[in-house]
Amino acid sequence: MVWPLSSSPEEKRATEIRSGAVAPTRAERQKCWESRDLYFACLDKNSIIDALKDEKAAAKACGAESKGFERDCATQWVTYFKKWRVQDIQKKARLAELEAQGANKLDVNTDFAPRT
Amino acid sequence: MSQPATTAARALVSKNLPKATRQQCLRFFSTASRNATTKRPTAAPCPSKPRQPLTQQRRTFKTVEEAKSRYRSGPFSLKAGLLFVATGAGLMYYFEHEKERMQRKRIADATKGVGKPKVGGPFELIDQNGNKVTQEDLKGRYSLVYFGFTHCPDICPEELDKMARMFDLVEEKRPGVLAPVFVTCDPARDGPEELKEYLNEFHPKFIGLTGTYDQIKAMCKAYRVYFSTPTNVAPGQDYLVDHSIYFYLMDPDGDFVEALGRQHSPEQAAKIIVDHMKEWQKPIRTA
Repeated sequence: MVWPLSSSPEEKRATEIRSGAVAPTRAERQKCWESRDLYFACLDKNSIIDALKDEKAAAKACGAESKGFERDCATQWVTYFKKWRVQDIQKKARLAELEAQGANKLDVNTDFAPRT
Repeated sequence: MSQPATTAARALVSKNLPKATRQQCLRFFSTASRNATTKRPTAAPCPSKPRQPLTQQRRTFKTVEEAKSRYRSGPFSLKAGLLFVATGAGLMYYFEHEKERMQRKRIADATKGVGKPKVGGPFELIDQNGNKVTQEDLKGRYSLVYFGFTHCPDICPEELDKMARMFDLVEEKRPGVLAPVFVTCDPARDGPEELKEYLNEFHPKFIGLTGTYDQIKAMCKAYRVYFSTPTNVAPGQDYLVDHSIYFYLMDPDGDFVEALGRQHSPEQAAKIIVDHMKEWQKPIRTA
């Protein structure tokens, strides 16, 4: 995807973040995560698990959210988070399955929310 | 020998034999010889106390009510019960406490190693201010070592926030004893300046370490940290680094103590660290 070159420093910074030239700050990370959560919530609503595999369906159902996600996050992060989503859903399903079989639950946390 | 036979023999003997011989014969025949009256001389028996009656002496009660109450509850009373429970609880607490202490000691000792430490070791890197840092600079205090990179999407920033909280909790209890160290796994992009900017957002006291690729590789190898930078990266192209996500607690000798993971909350981790510090016998330097 080609991003329009802009002279504004904010846009320059955003482009650098997307390309991975600079590491995002805390605020920028937070913004990216929020856009990601919005996008994933939309995928959940449309029961799309793998946004990379069902690219067309995802683009159709969550086009706007996807744009925001790609605008606020580094391109590498977008791919990473999409893959992570698939793995996390599979993991949770597997855990639920095991729990149904009576396995003991270990204290493992894969959520993004910080623990207090 | 049967009874009539004995009686007959006795009658025969008493009639026909002189007294001494008679007695001998009687001894021979009779069981009475076993409890012979002649004894070996012994010391005079001690004057003994009159024998205690077999039934236990009864306590005297002042009132009938008291006696009745005692009869109803038997030898148990509220006081005795409380004492029993308190002793039990005390013992239980003591054993649990000792068990935990031994467990910690075992972990610390097991990872201590006899010769070369298994995790950790000499290194030479630079911090976010461009100063050279070696393992000697970390010795004398406990250090908490974490590996990551500034372009990390989710886990490292989260873990660094956790590390900041953990560090603050430990600082409250033991100020200056713990050195929080962040080592980058991505030296190509994380120079001292990037580290400084990045770590300032987490905690001003974090020590960020970077170096050449080979120095970082040696450091990761020493700490048994797995990391993989993609090899086919064009200059300027973005990539992510895969790496292990443990906090390594190192003691003032520079030996590995324990690895803290994602399963520990900051409070749990801080408690583990402070508990290990309590058991350190040698002197500790403070920053």
